[in-house]
Amino acid sequence: MILRLPYLSFLFSRRAIVAGSALAILLAITLTVSVKLGAFPLSWSQIIATFARRADDVQQMIVLDHRLPRILTAIGAGAAFGLAGAMFQTMLRNPLATPDVIGFSAGASCGALLAMILTGGFILPGALAGGLVTAAAVTALAWHNGLQPYRLILIGIGASLTLSAGADLLMTKIDALTAAEMAKWLIGTLNTRDWSDVRLVWLGLTFLFPLALWLQFPLSRMAMSDDITTGLGLPLSPLRLLVTACAVALVALGVSVAGPLPFVAFVSGPIARRIVRGGSPAMLPAATVGALVTLLADMAARSFPIVQLPAGVCTAMIGAPVLMWLLLVQFRKGTL
Amino acid sequence: MTVQTTSVPSEPSRAETRSLWLCVSVLGLLVLSGLALKLGLRSIDLSHVWSAFTAFDVQSPDQIVIREIRLPRLAASVLAGVSLGMAGALMQGMTRNPLADPGLLGVNAGASLGVVICILVLGVTDPAAFIWIALGGGLVASLLVFLLGGGNQANPARLILAGAAVSALFLALSRSLLLISQQTLDVYRFWVLGGFDGVDFDTIQALLPFFVVGVVIALFAAFALNALMLGEDTARSLGVRVGFAQVLIGLAIVMLCGATVSMAGPIAFVGLIVPHLARRVAGANMWWMLLFSASFGAVLMTAADLLGRLPLFGGNMQAGVMSAMIGGPILIWLVRRYGVTKL
Repeated sequence: MILRLPYLSFLFSRRAIVAGSALAILLAITLTVSVKLGAFPLSWSQIIATFARRADDVQQMIVLDHRLPRILTAIGAGAAFGLAGAMFQTMLRNPLATPDVIGFSAGASCGALLAMILTGGFILPGALAGGLVTAAAVTALAWHNGLQPYRLILIGIGASLTLSAGADLLMTKIDALTAAEMAKWLIGTLNTRDWSDVRLVWLGLTFLFPLALWLQFPLSRMAMSDDITTGLGLPLSPLRLLVTACAVALVALGVSVAGPLPFVAFVSGPIARRIVRGGSPAMLPAATVGALVTLLADMAARSFPIVQLPAGVCTAMIGAPVLMWLLLVQFRKGTL
Repeated sequence: MTVQTTSVPSEPSRAETRSLWLCVSVLGLLVLSGLALKLGLRSIDLSHVWSAFTAFDVQSPDQIVIREIRLPRLAASVLAGVSLGMAGALMQGMTRNPLADPGLLGVNAGASLGVVICILVLGVTDPAAFIWIALGGGLVASLLVFLLGGGNQANPARLILAGAAVSALFLALSRSLLLISQQTLDVYRFWVLGGFDGVDFDTIQALLPFFVVGVVIALFAAFALNALMLGEDTARSLGVRVGFAQVLIGLAIVMLCGATVSMAGPIAFVGLIVPHLARRVAGANMWWMLLFSASFGAVLMTAADLLGRLPLFGGNMQAGVMSAMIGGPILIWLVRRYGVTKL
């Protein structure tokens, strides 16, 4: 199917449209269910009443000030991580590539720990500074007549390993109680989010999301080979720099509201690709899958009995089986 | 009928580089071994180190320290370095992916989950008992990865995804089990620190068959891997049984990694970094790759263990952390200085 506009034309596959809307509907259903889910029992009519501002104060507070911000933050952060992962995987032509490759997560962990040790607080600014400095340093170190994927990956691995070893080292320098607290933050959690987090992540997304969607066009060519990309007249290295900057900004956005949720960035791209098929990078489905995985993980973490689990633990437990199942199905059908 | 002989293009510079670096790494390993036996909390004269081997004296505490503590530790770090380096080279060669590390077959994650479950359910607290559980967990996980990855018709991209998915799932499971039980965390924390504290000759002896079998299979598989690096279709047309070769390589990786994990805990970094260093010297030939990965791995691991024991780094830094701190900057410097050699 082709959609023709005055200056643009889009090529759609029917499968992409069906799969994309199915994902969107699934996300909407999950959102609705997760508003109801929680320790405080609420009926559907009570929830509807809170939205119409006709319920009592306690119910109003639980739904509007606790559950809703948390859910919207989860969706925003998940979408940011999913987009960033899909962009890196397409640009570097490697299914294992995530923003971790460029050293962001390791730098963020190191920065957060350093901030904790030096100032006794400021975890988030420390993490963001650490991650951004590392990403910039890795990109600068890898820049040599342009930005080659292989070079970026290797230098990123080196920086990442050194910094995560450094984080391990710093982890032994703090007392046990702080260590446990930091470990929880470093896994990523969505506990106690409020509307300022929601505003931050969605404001960021309104700027970065259109940019990411526009980058999909050059990215689908960059996924082929350097020669084809250059032959099509695209400036390879500036585009790679732009993609890297955009993906790092998305990750920074996600980290600042949800902590470094592991695995979301890695798993969203492959799942979206396997659902949508076709050769294009599938940015929108990847963002939806990321949001879905994060939201489900947070729901699972919330409804887990006994202890308050951080959501980061559950992202892998939800994402990994889905990916495994998709791999199995495709193996049966012989499509891979 | 005339037989046409194809002349092999001579590469004097490559051959020279190889022999030079082989000498350097062997000499380096010897020097490091001497230092590893000599240095420590109790610095021992080199003459005592020598006589501990030639004329062992049961009365001398120095010689007992060398024979009973430092020698097993040295042997363990060399074994771990050799096997992690080789496993990494095999993994990156088989999947043709520079990001692949041997832990990607799920061995480390499986071993960790096995240990966690064992502590939680059975209440085992003795690290010596973890060897077989870790080995079993690693085997189960890698079997799962192979099944998901498509069995003996695995394709590298699928294998990577399956490995990453299984590893992530197992690690998440063990992490959440650890969050539930504080006592389990207390025991697990020390196992996962790993390193070579308290490794004795009994442990090494029990695991030696795995190391030997792994190395032998790896050397056999190197020939098939040379063809596999050209792409699966090319390999097939060269007469390589691709599926069989991949299963063989996977078996070697599992043997080497499984034995290392059970001996020293999950050390991921060496398997990832060392092949990149070795590729600079060895070039594309897999046989040389394995040789250099093994020797560089041994050097890096021994140096890391030695440095970790020096007072400068707190006296008891885990070898895995130290090796990453040394290896990471070296890798960055190499790539900056000499550019990249592609897989």
